[in-house]
Amino acid sequence: MKHLFADTLFKRLFLLMWVALVASHLAGFFSMRALSAGPPAHIGGPPHDVALPPVPSLPPLALPGPPGARSPGFDEADDGPPPPRHEPAPQLWVDYLVRLLVIGGAAWFGARWLSQPMRRLADASRGLAQSLAQHRRPPPLNEASGTLEVQQTAQVFNTMATQLHEQFESRGLMMAAISHDLRTPLSRLRLRLEHLDDGTLKDRCVADVQEAEHLIASVLDTLRLSHTATTPQRVDMRALLQSLVDDLVEQGQPVGCECLPMERPAVVLADASELQRAIGNLVANAVRHGGSAQLTLGEQGDRLLVRVDDAGPGIPEHELEAVFRPFYRVDASRSRHTGGTGLGLYIARDLARRHGGHLTLANRREGGLRAELSLPLA
Amino acid sequence: MTHVLLVDDDPELRTLVGDYLQRYGMRVTAVADGAGLRRTLPTGMAGSSDPYDVLLLDLMLPDAHGLDLCRWVQAHHPLPLIMLTAQGDPASRIVGLELGADDYLPKPFEPRELVARIHAVLRRAASARGASAVTATTTTTTTTTTTSTTAAASQPAVHFNGWAFDRLRRQLTSPGQVVLALSNAEFRLLSAFIAHPRHVLSRDRLLELTLTPGVDVTDRSIDLAVSRLRQKLEDPALIRTVRGEGYSFDADLA
Repeated sequence: MKHLFADTLFKRLFLLMWVALVASHLAGFFSMRALSAGPPAHIGGPPHDVALPPVPSLPPLALPGPPGARSPGFDEADDGPPPPRHEPAPQLWVDYLVRLLVIGGAAWFGARWLSQPMRRLADASRGLAQSLAQHRRPPPLNEASGTLEVQQTAQVFNTMATQLHEQFESRGLMMAAISHDLRTPLSRLRLRLEHLDDGTLKDRCVADVQEAEHLIASVLDTLRLSHTATTPQRVDMRALLQSLVDDLVEQGQPVGCECLPMERPAVVLADASELQRAIGNLVANAVRHGGSAQLTLGEQGDRLLVRVDDAGPGIPEHELEAVFRPFYRVDASRSRHTGGTGLGLYIARDLARRHGGHLTLANRREGGLRAELSLPLA
Repeated sequence: MTHVLLVDDDPELRTLVGDYLQRYGMRVTAVADGAGLRRTLPTGMAGSSDPYDVLLLDLMLPDAHGLDLCRWVQAHHPLPLIMLTAQGDPASRIVGLELGADDYLPKPFEPRELVARIHAVLRRAASARGASAVTATTTTTTTTTTTSTTAAASQPAVHFNGWAFDRLRRQLTSPGQVVLALSNAEFRLLSAFIAHPRHVLSRDRLLELTLTPGVDVTDRSIDLAVSRLRQKLEDPALIRTVRGEGYSFDADLA
């Protein structure tokens, strides 16, 4: 229903042309009338009968004065008691109707014809986004057909599409180069460290290598995110949280999980590995800055809530939103010691949004920070 | 002595890996690219005087894509294969494993991890050989048995009672098409069960089958993983407790 009333280029053109044509006929008719009937209109005449068609009562054909040529309006003005009104003859109505239809039809075709390039452009833009996501060369617009403006637009669009495609491709190449050229020396460094005697120095160096690798992985994740297409599946969130927590507990991390009773199955439409990454980032954050992570799964209306609570100092209220910015650190000196790349929350929110979710942070009244991820239930 | 064939385009890395593995009683032959691999591998296959036991293959090589080489190796000279890669994204890991690599290690790796993975891959290959030697009625050469094990490993999904178990993505899909994530412990346990359906497996045997470097697997963790798996499978009869003996996975694989 909504698109029926939408403001489209087609409708604008259609209405404009139709109104213009009808108006031109009206204007023509009245000017003809004015010329042929001499000084018209008695000012202050009795009000016209509202039942009369507001459209001119006589077609131009009738102007020279066939029987009953005077229009009802003038009849009323001329004669004291209103005489029986002259209905326009049926053929006049047919005449109006035919005109209206012909004008309307022409306007419709004209509007379609003119607005078609815009629709083609919109289709092409839609195709562009898709082919960029799938690393295909976008299908070009036809540069040879249409009016000059349309051809120019097509040329500009094609140039833009090619440039975008090239940029996406070069970004892919750059990512490969970054991963290869940084990770190879890092691998060498890590192996060389095996020649150091075991001890604090070696441990610290190994930790540095791991931190650098972690940063590379996060940056690549961020770049990769925007142009990977996934096929969503029905994912059981209870199993997802449980397995994530079990894995961390197996590594000796202070993490726990509780699933509140729910009315609906805890199933969302998503890419399982992306949600795992998003929640994994929240948990890693909680453990790193808050010492532990306690997960709670619950529901609120038709949304599913995943809470990750920690027992740390929390974040100043005015920074709760800022920490989602890439590389933002609440306390630079402290955070650098505790590790982390400053991309975890940014990536988590990005992933949440891709799944129609919201991710927010809040300080809990009883102390500690709470990250809350809400996702639409399937 | 374990003989390792390493394919990597970085000369220093080749030397470093060689030196490091030597400490663990392995000998490394290193080549720089795909051409080198295609030349060298046929000379060191089973039956030759000094056969290769395991192949470490870098995915990004100047003259060939690692995945093509992976396919070539599996088709012509099957050998336990560990992919090393600097790419490290989930997609390339899954593609590599689907093409028949036995394991996958992102760069930069922990050196001890590499050693542990090599041992694990060799152990799996040996036990597969042993298992097929028992069941085989005709005498089989080492080459053909390795082919059959990697073929089985590269088949990504196993189906039972309406469930699908995807080993590469490590996930379980229910008969109602809901994806259930598996923890590492559950994954190892289910893999062990699926390798031995309708067999009673004792806790000790399960411990052995689910052994993994860097994790303490205990009786208790086995019991926990069993109860978790039962919860996920929603059918307690699927994993049957045999009192005093262990557990049995009562499903028919398809």
